[in-house]
Formats: sequence, structure tokens, C-alpha cells
Amino acid sequence: MKERLLKKDNVKALCVSASDQWETYVPLEGFGGDVQFTKLDNEKRELSLDKLNLNYEILTVPPKVTVFPQLESLFRFQDEKISETVKPKAPILLFGLRACDVKGILFTDDFFKRNFEDIYYLNRSMNKLLVIVGCKHPLENCFCTSTKTGPFLESGFDLQLVDIGNKCLVEIGSEKGQEFVSSYGKFFDEASKDDVECSKIAKRDAEEAVRLRLDFEEAIKKFCDDKVPREIYERIAERCIYCGGCLYVCPTCTCFNVFDDIKASSGGRYRNWDACVFAGYTREASGHNPRFEKWLRTSRRYEHKLKYDYLTTGTSGCVGCGRCLSSCPVNIGISQVIEEVSKR
Amino acid sequence: MKNEYVPHPAIIESFQSESFDTKTFKVVFEDKALADSFDYKPGQFVQVSLLGVGEAPISITSSPSQKGFLELTIRAVGKLTRTIHELEPADKIYIRGPYGNSFPFEEVAGKDLYFIAGGIGLPPLRSVITSVFDRRGDFGKIKILYGAKTPYELCFKEELQSWKRMADTEVLLTVDEPDEGWKGNVGVVTTLWDKTDMAASCGAAFVCGPPVMIRFVIEKLLNSGFEDENIYITLERYMKCGIGKCGHCNIGEKFVCTDGPVFTYSQLKKFPDKERAIA
Amino acid sequence: MARVLTTCIYCGCGCGLYLESETCPERSRRDGMIVGSYPSRNHPVSKGALCVKGWNAYEFINKLDRLKAPLIKSNGGFEEVSWDIALEMVSRRLLKIKEKYGEEALGFLSSAKATNEENFLMMKLARAVFKTNNVDHCARLCHASTVVGLAATFGSGAMTNSINEFEDADLFLVTGSDTTEQHPLIGSRIINAVNDRGAGLIVVDPRKIELAKYATIYMAQDNGTDVAWINAMCNVIIKEGLYDKKYIEQRTENFEELKRTVEQYTPEYTEKITKIPRDLLVRAARLYAESKKAMIVYSMGITQHTTGVDNVKSLANLAMLTAHVGFASTGVNPLRGQNNVQGACDLGALPNVFSGYQQVTDDTARAKFEGMWKVKNLPSKPGLTVTEIFNEALKGNLKALYIMGENPVISDPDSNHIRKALEKLEFLAVNEIFLSDTAQYADVILPAGSFAEKDGTFTNTERRVERIRKAIEPVGQARPDWEILSEIARRCGYKGMDYSHPSQIMDEIAQLTPIYGGISYDRLDPFGLQWPCPSKEHPGTPYLHKDKFAKGKGSFLPCAYAAADELPDDEYNFVLSTGRIYWHWHTGTMSRRTSTLDREVPAGYVEINPKDAEKLKIKKGGRVKISSRRGEIETSAVVTEKVKEGSIFVPFHFSEAAANVLTNPAVDPVAKIPEYKVCAVKIEKI
Repeated sequence: MKERLLKKDNVKALCVSASDQWETYVPLEGFGGDVQFTKLDNEKRELSLDKLNLNYEILTVPPKVTVFPQLESLFRFQDEKISETVKPKAPILLFGLRACDVKGILFTDDFFKRNFEDIYYLNRSMNKLLVIVGCKHPLENCFCTSTKTGPFLESGFDLQLVDIGNKCLVEIGSEKGQEFVSSYGKFFDEASKDDVECSKIAKRDAEEAVRLRLDFEEAIKKFCDDKVPREIYERIAERCIYCGGCLYVCPTCTCFNVFDDIKASSGGRYRNWDACVFAGYTREASGHNPRFEKWLRTSRRYEHKLKYDYLTTGTSGCVGCGRCLSSCPVNIGISQVIEEVSKR
Repeated sequence: MKNEYVPHPAIIESFQSESFDTKTFKVVFEDKALADSFDYKPGQFVQVSLLGVGEAPISITSSPSQKGFLELTIRAVGKLTRTIHELEPADKIYIRGPYGNSFPFEEVAGKDLYFIAGGIGLPPLRSVITSVFDRRGDFGKIKILYGAKTPYELCFKEELQSWKRMADTEVLLTVDEPDEGWKGNVGVVTTLWDKTDMAASCGAAFVCGPPVMIRFVIEKLLNSGFEDENIYITLERYMKCGIGKCGHCNIGEKFVCTDGPVFTYSQLKKFPDKERAIA
Repeated sequence: MARVLTTCIYCGCGCGLYLESETCPERSRRDGMIVGSYPSRNHPVSKGALCVKGWNAYEFINKLDRLKAPLIKSNGGFEEVSWDIALEMVSRRLLKIKEKYGEEALGFLSSAKATNEENFLMMKLARAVFKTNNVDHCARLCHASTVVGLAATFGSGAMTNSINEFEDADLFLVTGSDTTEQHPLIGSRIINAVNDRGAGLIVVDPRKIELAKYATIYMAQDNGTDVAWINAMCNVIIKEGLYDKKYIEQRTENFEELKRTVEQYTPEYTEKITKIPRDLLVRAARLYAESKKAMIVYSMGITQHTTGVDNVKSLANLAMLTAHVGFASTGVNPLRGQNNVQGACDLGALPNVFSGYQQVTDDTARAKFEGMWKVKNLPSKPGLTVTEIFNEALKGNLKALYIMGENPVISDPDSNHIRKALEKLEFLAVNEIFLSDTAQYADVILPAGSFAEKDGTFTNTERRVERIRKAIEPVGQARPDWEILSEIARRCGYKGMDYSHPSQIMDEIAQLTPIYGGISYDRLDPFGLQWPCPSKEHPGTPYLHKDKFAKGKGSFLPCAYAAADELPDDEYNFVLSTGRIYWHWHTGTMSRRTSTLDREVPAGYVEINPKDAEKLKIKKGGRVKISSRRGEIETSAVVTEKVKEGSIFVPFHFSEAAANVLTNPAVDPVAKIPEYKVCAVKIEKI
């Protein structure tokens, strides 16, 4: 892997410059310390970048929202004439992602390409540059080392930044990344052997800082062998309040609902995020519901990530980000299920 | 890249009432080039919608050899289908597809074919049956076992009679609740096993109907000696996109819309019971 | 793409959420779309989570049937007109009716969904411009009993403690609150405390609510017998010496009267009234008294009765008896339903008080408001409540009504009576976002901006005054309610409502309202302040009555049990209770326009016990007809053990099977709150 160096002082200027050519998304701190992935508005970008925070704890909603919004229109119609509302392709720069979230995006990229191509997602996502800024301080719900999805990746990114003080070591992971570094060469410096050594130490420190350790492989094995007792699902199904939050915030969740809206003869067809824990998710028009019982939906929710994704793609659908637990009002998280199943 | 989600307008040419809540619509794509070129395989479905109302998967009941139009048998059971039932000839409807896998002709060439349907389960099979009759010589004996609640609710009443007249073809009908004129079998579809030889030395069975019926029919088929991989079942699930993206029709690691709706019993057996692949 | 931090529009939890907006190139500036809503991670209530309604709050805002232009009634339908014409019509008609019949012929219904600033302006419009105190809002229908009962006992009618204090409590006494359905982020905290920290839970509810499955003690009382079981708990606590003598001596008065009143409510006696087994009553009393950090949590099951005020006073008595007021993680916690019903009350959209609960009968208070508003002779007699307004309208005494963001046809008791009253009015004007059942009766409909289309503040149930922020321009020609109200005032010749931004309204509020004295927009970032916040340096108040009650000493106000107004008889042999469910919100104007919520529960239903269902041959999903002395509805049956035999429950969200067609408009004599929780009905299969 080739390396370069990016002084932290140059980061803002780099983003400003890049946003001329790329739709640039960066983590900006908003109210009360909430950090969100925000598109830089060309007019206000310098001002916005004052709030740039690459040391953020976690983005509440994962970056999938930039390519798969919570609500989008599929097409509009007026007097029976349909007009598509596909967003035109534009190059997007996602600067400041965490490794787990990049794994999430790679997963959803693969999903929306498989079989039929989903033009709405792919037009947004096909021309993008993924820049990881690796985690320094994993949170207590994080378990990326167990799922082998962080705090740093070996591949799958275009650039990976390792924080080594007042500068970052830049690992170039693809041709696109190389092109980017070349185009914006004036912001990058040579990386010394020392810098590389420091980055190795920083990576190791970050890995050791992950406190939650799970026997992920053992859990996957048990899921694939159908050795998960029904009682676990029943217990969770009873406690769950069916907010859908754990699935809405999951970097690899892709389910959606489709609905129409119309007034007089004009309207549109839209899609929005959906979650498999809702009873209506499988209820047919006749009223018949193959997953009527709550525990069946809970089992679906976990088996999709920990068994079926694995069977279909070879990797599980869980990237160890811990968001499901952070966003659950009743403190349920996939890490608890993994832990319990792996230990039984 | 094709936009799979945008439907194409089609005109309702005519419709026929099959029973009190079921109609078969004959539709033609507005765009002539599309109408002529639209091709599909028996067993596939299309996503049918009305703008501003919604969209639902409907099996194509006509056969691909019948060019230029599609026949869709629709039961009025929800908001969209009830609205479709209010439409008249010359009204517009929107269609995209075809989606799904299809009934496997190559695998069953030369075999005896057994079609077992219940109620609204016949329309998807009709596409296959018509296609089979187009190439009658490629297949062995044909038996069609079909049951509905009442004689009035049997779909394709005229066609059933014409099928009876085909070479080496048996059509057995049954109803749960007979009326005065009914002279045929009374009872569920499985009671027809007593009326004909169902021993399946080299047969393939195609099953479509309500979940409960499917379960009992499979039992009977297995007892009659059918092999797991020669029993084909069409599954139904709530669908939104039809292309394996929205997630609603998932069973295990499969989607009914892309990996199905036609599955063999050997495939369905692999799903854990709780997935309710078979009732 | 833009994003703002705002407060959820649904319940009184007041979760902080972000609204994401998009201006699409093919849509005009006045046609922005809200494309997402997700939680604030650091907000003290949401803490990164939301309930399903909050997660889907983005959807209804964009619906194409939003009201986008002013409408006037014409030829059995409605006709679009300009704002100029519509506003002229409203101001002219209201002035004319005032001239002809007097100001008592006017009524103003404010909105528990609108902002604090808008509620303030509505009551200012009624009082300063039209000189009437006939201003009220839907708190009358939900927590009017609380406002009266806790003001009388404690001196302040608000939730005493804060939502995060639930996380440290040792015991919860939850009664008349289906907390997991109605306040999910509070119900969740109870679930966590009970399951993860071993907190105790006493649930008292005639229906076996979700929370009951976690209960240490579950008591299913008969509807409307709450004073009895609460008195019984006091009885046991006093008898067994479990009360806090020192606290009672130092901080309360009137203990002897309580002791005398509750003497007859022995567990044996109370069991006969309430059907709660006596030993459960004893155990519950002991558990509550002996827990250090015990919180009483209640909602409509306590307040919506003809004895609502008595119910609230009794809970207050119980809490004072055991020194459970004035400390963290204790208290009497009425869970306010709407996103801003607390604020609507705080800001004086009530017939007897100005903002800050300052009485209209108080000369000093009136003088202060007259000074600030530059008017003379503000009305000094308390005005009509919501329930009285409709009665007077039907009698022909009240001629005109101006309703902002409320839907009485579905939310008020005895819908047929409400419809007749609305028909009888000479003039009805409505500010609305959708063409609701009530708006159908209007002469003029003014399209209002939703919560995503304006700045302002909401006050949640824990007295947190927090910001809502504008995410998109009001759709079509809609305008925020505060602009509409100001315009009407201006056209009526009043010059005191000239604001360019809601923050100015808040500045005026702060000057007039001691509990909001220190509130200004620059102090509300990021997550608001809890009142009382009397001055600019004050950090806000997490819990009330620390060291002393708001009125000095807390008063024990004991009550005798009295039965509900209409109990079952031979003809109407079932008890009907009404209420809410998780998936929908109140009259359904927003939640039924949200695809995920509508899909979960697309239609109304009635809960009936399996034994009753069997007797009446009612099957799951079968159609039934429910009739009361007020009217009848047809709906589908859900057969469940949740309801007792002889009881049924109908959620009131569904206009085609409206529960309030059946309910009894009998009210509490002081609070004037209707008895939604008990009336007599009959049910038959169709």
C-alpha cells in the first residue's frame, strides 16, 4: 500500500478544494455535540467546515443515508404521464467515514447491484470516493474487531487516514484514491518511515481500545446450524417496543416500503425505509401473515444479519458498529445476541 | 441502466368474471412496440398498479404463445385490487415486468404432468397448462386436479371443458359446497386422489393454492411416490418491488420474487419450519 | 439538503429529532420536501432513540392533500380565495358578532400542537382584542384534572420530576397510563429500570396493558374506582405507621382530615368497590411506602373522569403521606399527552388564567397584562371551557368559534352533539394543515404551517421548553399560525401583535410570565430549559417542590369515593373505555397519513374479552355494532384477554369508527373534563 501524509491543518482546505469537483460529505458537529454527515454547501462551506469534527463518536444514522435516503420519490405523474425522478449521477466524496460504515456501504452497494440494478441507489453511489478516518476511541457498544470490520480496513477503501498527532498517515487503497491524491497533491506530503511506524502503533492502540470482545465466528456458526434457541427470540420480542430504530440505523439494512400519493390527477410514487420487525411487513392483502407472532419477526431480524447474509454473500450483515444498541430505547442490541449465542 | 420501477401503461381490452370476487382482465400495452415484443415465461408475474393507489404482483395467466396481450386474473381483496375491479374496458392500468422464475419446461419434458390447484391457484398454472398443450407431444399423461369452494367459484369454466377434450388428459374437479346442478366430486382437492391413479412413476407435479391446501397436497404427493425435486410449488408473499430489493417477500436467504415464485419441494424443505414456506 | 434540530410533533416526551429537507429542482421554493427524521444522540430525552412515530414524522408533512390555500365555504364545498379575502372575512365576522351579541358570544380554541408563542397569541387575541376569556384548548379533555388537582394540593399543576429521573427510581406506581403505547420513551425507561436495575413496578389499570407483564404487583380495578384504592393504600400506610411523620409535620397541612377520611377505606371495604383483592392492596401500599425513590406515573386513566380532580388529589395525598415529593426520582408525574399541551396551559390558553397561571380575577395580574398589551379593561370573569363552549353553541348563546389546530368532532365526547353545535354556529373559522372532520364545518379555513415550517418552542411533559426550528418554507400559501393570528389582530385594529419573529413573542412572554422569566431563544440551545426558570441566570428546574411546595405547605385534600356518571345497566350492559394506541396519534390526521403507521393499523377496532365474545358469537375480525345513549358505531372486533369481562375498549383515532360518538359528555364539576373512561354501551354482532 502506498502512503502519503496529510497535515491536519490542511484538511479544511482540502475539503474546500475537493468540493469544487465532488459533492462532498463531511462529519459536521451540530447542536449539542451531535455529529452528522453533511453535504458541503458551496456557498457556506468555509463556515460549515469550522464545525468539522473527525474525532466524532458515531454518526447516529449511518452514511448509507447519503445514497439511500429515508424518503425518496421514484417518479411523479401528472394526468397519467409519468416522469422519473432519478437523481443524475454526480461524483460524491465521503470524507471521514469509519471503517465499519465503509463496510456497510460496500455491503449495500453489492445488494443494490445484485440481480436487478437499482438505478436510484446506484446513480447516487456509483461514482464515489470513500475516505476512512479510522477510529481512535471506540465506544462501549463497538465490537468491530470481533466482526473484523474495523477500526481500520485492509481493503475496500480509496483512502484511509490514520491519526498520528497533528497529521494523518494516508493509506492509498485504490487507483481512484491515487488519482485523488495526485489531483490534490499540494495538500499532501511525503510520509516518512517514522510516520508509517507511528501509524502502525496508532492502529494497534485503536484495536486494543475496543473493549467489547465477542466470539463472532462461533455465533455465526451456531446461526448457520440453526442452533439458536427460540427462547432468545421470544425474550427479545417481548421486550422490544417495535420502534424500528435498530434497523433504520443499521448500515447494512436496505428494506423499504413503496407508497403512492395523489391529489386530483397528480402525484407520485415514493419509497421509504422499512423494518422487518413490523407486523405489516409481511401481512398480505387477505390478512394472512406468515410472521404474525412477534418472535418470528425477531428471529428474522437477527437471522437475516447473522445467517442469511452470510449464506448469500460470504460475509455477515453485521459490521459491529453498535448503533442498534445505542438507538434502542429498551437496551437491546445485536452484540448481546451474539454474545449469548456464542456462549451457549 | 434500466429503471425497473417505472411501469408502462396498458389498456384494458375486456374482462370476464370468474366468480363473485375474481375477474380475468385482458390487457394490451399502450405502446405497440412493447405490446408486440413483450415476452415472458409461464409462471412469471407482473407488477400491476394504478397511479395514486398502489402496486401488487399478479401472475400472468395467459401463455407466452398468445402474443400481443396479457391475461391477468385478479381477486378483489385489498384496496388496489378492489379499485381495479371498478375499471371498464378502455381504462388504463400500469404494468412492469415480467418478474420471477418460471415453470421449468426442459426438466419435465417427456414426463407425466400433474397440475393441482385450489381456488385462485389455477390462474398461475393456466399459463403453464396452455403452454404445455401448445407442445402436447413433448409430454406424457396430463392430469389436472382442481377444487374451489363452490361451483361458481371455479375459474376458467369453459377452458376446463376444452382441456378435458385434449389427448391423454384428465380433468378432475371438486367443490366444498355443491349446488343443485353439481354432479362432480364433493370435498377438498385431496379427495380427488381416490378418483384417479396418482401413482407417479415418472411424473412432475405443479401445485398452487392456499397455504393450507399446499401442505396437504404435498403430503399426498409424497405418499404417491413423487420425488421431492419433481414437486413444483408457487409461493405467494406480500411484495412491493418484485425485484428482490424491498425485502418483504424474503424467506430464508431467498426472495419469492427473484428466486421464486416457483420452488421445488426439495428447496422448500431446506427452510426452517418457522419460515412457513409451507403453511 | 438541509437539516435542523427540532422537537417531535407527537407526544409529550418531546424527543429531539432532526428533520432533513430537500429542495428538488423541479419543485418550487414553497414546495420543499422533508425527506428524513432521525434522533438526536445527545438530547436528554431521545438519547439517540425515537419511537416509530418519531422515526416516521417526515412523511405526513409532504402529503399532497395539505391545505395550501385559504378556503371559504361555497355551494356545499369549498372555494379557494386569497389570504386578503379570507383574513378580512374572519376579522370582520368576529367583530360583527361581538358587536351584535357581545364578547361572550365568541369562543377561541387554541392548540396543544401549536407552539408556545402561538398559544400566547391566541389567548392575547381573545383577551386583548376581543375582550373575552372564552379561550380554552384540548387540555380540558386530558389533564384539566391535573392542573386543578395538583395546583390545589401542591401549588403547581405540572409534572414534579423529570424524565431522566425515571432511570434512578426504585419503584414506579403506574396508573391510568398505558406508558409503552403513549409515551414510549418514558415507558422504555420504566422497562429498563425494572429489568436491568430491579426497580419495582405497581401497575393499576382495568386493562392488562403491556407494562403489566413487568409488574411486581398488578391490580385491575373497575373503571372509575380510583379514589377508593388510593385511599385504601393511604389507609394501610397510616395504619401500619409507614408514613413519614417528620415530612408531614414540616411540609404539609391537613393530615388529620386525611386520616379521618381514609379510615373507612380498609382493604376489605375497598375490595368490594374496586374488585382488587385485599392482599394486593396491602402489598402495594407497603411496597410504595417502603421504597425510597418512588414515582407515581399517571395519565388519562386518572384524569378523564367526573371524579378526575378527586383522583389527582388522592394521588397527591398518597405521595405526600410517604415523603415522595420534592426529591429526585420521586414525585407525582402526570404524563402530558400532546407535544405542547403543557405549553398551551403554561401560556394561558385557559379561560381562568393568563400565562404562568396568573388568575384573570387577580387585579394585579390584569393590570400587568393591560400595561404590557396596552389595553384597558381586560375581562375579569373566567370564561367558558371547551366542554361548555359546545354546550353554549348548541343552546344558541355562543355564535362564533375560531379553532386553531384542534379536531373536536373526533376528540370531544358525544360527537353528534359536537356536530350539531358546530352546525348551529353563525361563524366558524379554522386554522388547519389538513381538511379534518372539524374543518369540514368551517366557513373559513386558513392553511397553517406544520411544525417543520416555522420557528417556535414546545414545552414537553417534564416542563422542558425546547426549540422547534424551521426546516422548509410553509407549503403552498400556508402560513405559520403566529403570523395568521397577528394578521387577524391587526385587521381588527389592534397594534400590539407586530412581531417579525417568534423569538420576540417569547421575549414578551418572559416579561409577563415568572415561570418563563429567564427563557429566551439564545438560552434554549441546544436542548431547552425546564421551568421554573425565573431569571436569565437561572439554569432551569429538574424537579419541583424541593424543600417546600410551590404554595408553601402541601395540602392534604382527601376525597370520598363516588361512582362514575354512567354505569352499565340492563340495556347498556358493557363498560366502554376509550384511549390511544402506539401506532396512531389522537384524531389520526397525521399518523393515518403515514404509510408505515397506516399499514400497521389501517382501521378502527374494539377490544372484547374472549368470554364475552363467545357469548355474543363474535369472532376475531368480525363486524360489530356498539351503541350508547349518544350514538352508535360499526367496527371490527379484536378478541383479547387484555380487557375484563363486561368491558370493551375502543381507540379513538379512527373517524369512520369514532369512539367519541359513544362517549358520555358528563364532566368533572371543577375541571370540566369529560368522562372518557367510563360509559355504558351495548355491543352486538352484525
